[in-house]
Amino acid sequence: MRRITRYASMLMVMAILLAAISACAAPVAAPSGAAEPAAPGEAAAPAAGEVSFEFWHIQTSTPELLQNAVDRFMADNPGVSVEVVPLQNDPYKTKIKVAMGAGNPPCVFPTWGGGPLYEYIQAGQVVDITDFMQQDGYVDRFVPASLSNVTFDGKVWGVPVENSAIAVVWYNKTIFEELGLEPPATWDELLAIVDTLNENDIAPFAMANKTKWPSSMFYMYLVDRLAGPEVFAGAATRSGGTFEDPVFVEAGQMIQDLVNRDGFVEGFNGLDIDTGQSRQLLYAGKAAMELMGSWQISTMRAENPEWVAANLAFFPFPAIEGGMGDPSNVVGTVGDNFYSISSVCPYPDEAFKMIQYLIDDASVAERGAAGRIPPVVGFTTDDPMLQGIIDLIGNAASVQLWYDQYLPPELGEVHKDTMQALFGLEITPEQAAAAHEEAAVKFFGQ
Amino acid sequence: MTTAARDNTQARITTRPRPLINEYALTAALFLLPTFAFLFIFVLWPIVDSFRLSLYKWNGVDPNLTFLGVDNWTRLAKDSVFWRALRNNFIIVFLSIIIQLPVGLALAVLLDTGGRMFRFFKVIYFLPLLLSTVAIGILFKYIYDPYFGIINATLEAVGLQSLTQAWLSNPRIALFSVIAVICWQYIPFYMVLFLASLTGIPQELREAAYIDGATENTYFWRVVLPLLRGSIITAATLSLIGSLKYFDLIWVMTEGGPVNATELMATYMYKKAFNSFEMGYGATIASALFIVVLVTALTVYFPLQRREEDIAG
Repeated sequence: MRRITRYASMLMVMAILLAAISACAAPVAAPSGAAEPAAPGEAAAPAAGEVSFEFWHIQTSTPELLQNAVDRFMADNPGVSVEVVPLQNDPYKTKIKVAMGAGNPPCVFPTWGGGPLYEYIQAGQVVDITDFMQQDGYVDRFVPASLSNVTFDGKVWGVPVENSAIAVVWYNKTIFEELGLEPPATWDELLAIVDTLNENDIAPFAMANKTKWPSSMFYMYLVDRLAGPEVFAGAATRSGGTFEDPVFVEAGQMIQDLVNRDGFVEGFNGLDIDTGQSRQLLYAGKAAMELMGSWQISTMRAENPEWVAANLAFFPFPAIEGGMGDPSNVVGTVGDNFYSISSVCPYPDEAFKMIQYLIDDASVAERGAAGRIPPVVGFTTDDPMLQGIIDLIGNAASVQLWYDQYLPPELGEVHKDTMQALFGLEITPEQAAAAHEEAAVKFFGQ
Repeated sequence: MTTAARDNTQARITTRPRPLINEYALTAALFLLPTFAFLFIFVLWPIVDSFRLSLYKWNGVDPNLTFLGVDNWTRLAKDSVFWRALRNNFIIVFLSIIIQLPVGLALAVLLDTGGRMFRFFKVIYFLPLLLSTVAIGILFKYIYDPYFGIINATLEAVGLQSLTQAWLSNPRIALFSVIAVICWQYIPFYMVLFLASLTGIPQELREAAYIDGATENTYFWRVVLPLLRGSIITAATLSLIGSLKYFDLIWVMTEGGPVNATELMATYMYKKAFNSFEMGYGATIASALFIVVLVTALTVYFPLQRREEDIAG
């Protein structure tokens, strides 16, 4: 009898072991198993006469703004119900990919435009909304630049809604006045300013490049000013362009010339923008300029409002003599997030109607009050500095989306690594161009 | 199960005693089971799965993995950044052991002989270990700041302008700047470890040595140091493994930059797996890191251990 007990216990031990093994094997197998539904609740399966679908967004700082819009939509459209699902930024990126892969995405979902959206479009996952946008001239409501990141193959695939941010040169107007300097209209004028500042022992550009993306802004602007947005687009989408185009080498050369001219603060590759090391140099008057996104206004106002009131001003990135690019072009993102409709959605008409409520006059007013720049024509604000940014966007012939957001992540990282090395004079402009091209060929297979 | 246990007990009482070993083994197995299951799920299986993933191309979200065979491993063998990271890891190993251990030991001896007098310093020296690594990283980022940092300011104040540096931006210096902080953080740990061993040395040995005519010096080298042998081996092994796996402070201070100057295997793995969405290649780096740590630890640990046994025997 005892022997039986012993065997029984041993069997039990083994059973528990097996259970443990299979329990931990299951989640590991899941990614390759595909079809598991990742979305909470199905979008399909309409009850008779009732329309209901899901809407995901990542505006977790102002969720009520979107909920209000959807509530207005549902009040005006009885019989339609929308489930609003707010998600955190980073988990969303994973979730939407899994949902798309499993054929189970929500009807309405946000994107940042650019490369990732184009991947979904090519996979046939996104509804072409060109006709919706053209209806009754609805498209004219939007700043033209805001549509460039959602327009592919001549069609529109997303509605710009949330916010706008572009890179401009922020400068200390007090220093400029003391030294008799004017905001430069051309690159040569900028170089003259760099020399004057150096003669006066003030570092021209503050930059905190530990995270690598701040330096990319110079490269993007130089390429755009030299050649316009087409060269990069051609190289990044592999539609007849290459990263070894002479324009990329020339932009790299101009950057290294600026570095050799002492255009930047000492040790910029080790300074951290997240702990404000570049802004501190501006506050202390040790540096006079910084090329940075327009979120700089609110960041600096939070950190040092007195300094901002007395000293902060900005000018657009200067033109390059003989450059092919339109000097009104800006680098940044206009209208981000964009909302798109998935092709499995059974109610694209209702979905589009709902998106329109997200950017109706009431929503625009609420966004303006939150200090954002919704991408609609005629949006104005009492804040003169914010208004200056709005005017730049309104006048821009095109908006170049940040390279590292536009490119697939693998290439985006190569781009950022290369920028840090280029600015650190560790590689030549030719090597930088070749590194981009090599990574692109490896990723796209061509 | 309780019934079974009671049955067993009663059986033992009523019938002649059987060898206890089986019951012990069974009980032991049952008690170990939760731990074992835990280790299996959270330690062993992820290691195995990393090796499996290293054979695939996977962006981390796609339901479909592409089988590559050993392509990731051949890529790794040719990846100059990985070799640079490996070299940096070994520089950290080397400098950590030759700086942290002797300084830790010196401080421990000082505190041990100083007795009550130095109780205050005991607390002061211990402080770095109590700070969170992220806080230390941010603190030293400010200390190293080329414009506002205290190091450059001090150098300028004493007329050594020529020595001022962009400590974290100069690729030739950045790694050593970070290693200095790592040492600052971990010396207290080894200090405490050695202090505990020193306290364990019986006072009689000191008296006996002095009666035999030993000086303070010979007592330390001939008596104390051999007795600390075990602690030193433990400290060296911990330092070795810790340095090979190192991640956090480097990540906070430089993210492996500038231009891979402070790249370590762990930071490179993180970047590939999570920033570049190259989960398969990231798993390859993780597996390589595992092999490097395992092989290094075994080659260092076992010979030392054997000599230890020889001496003991």
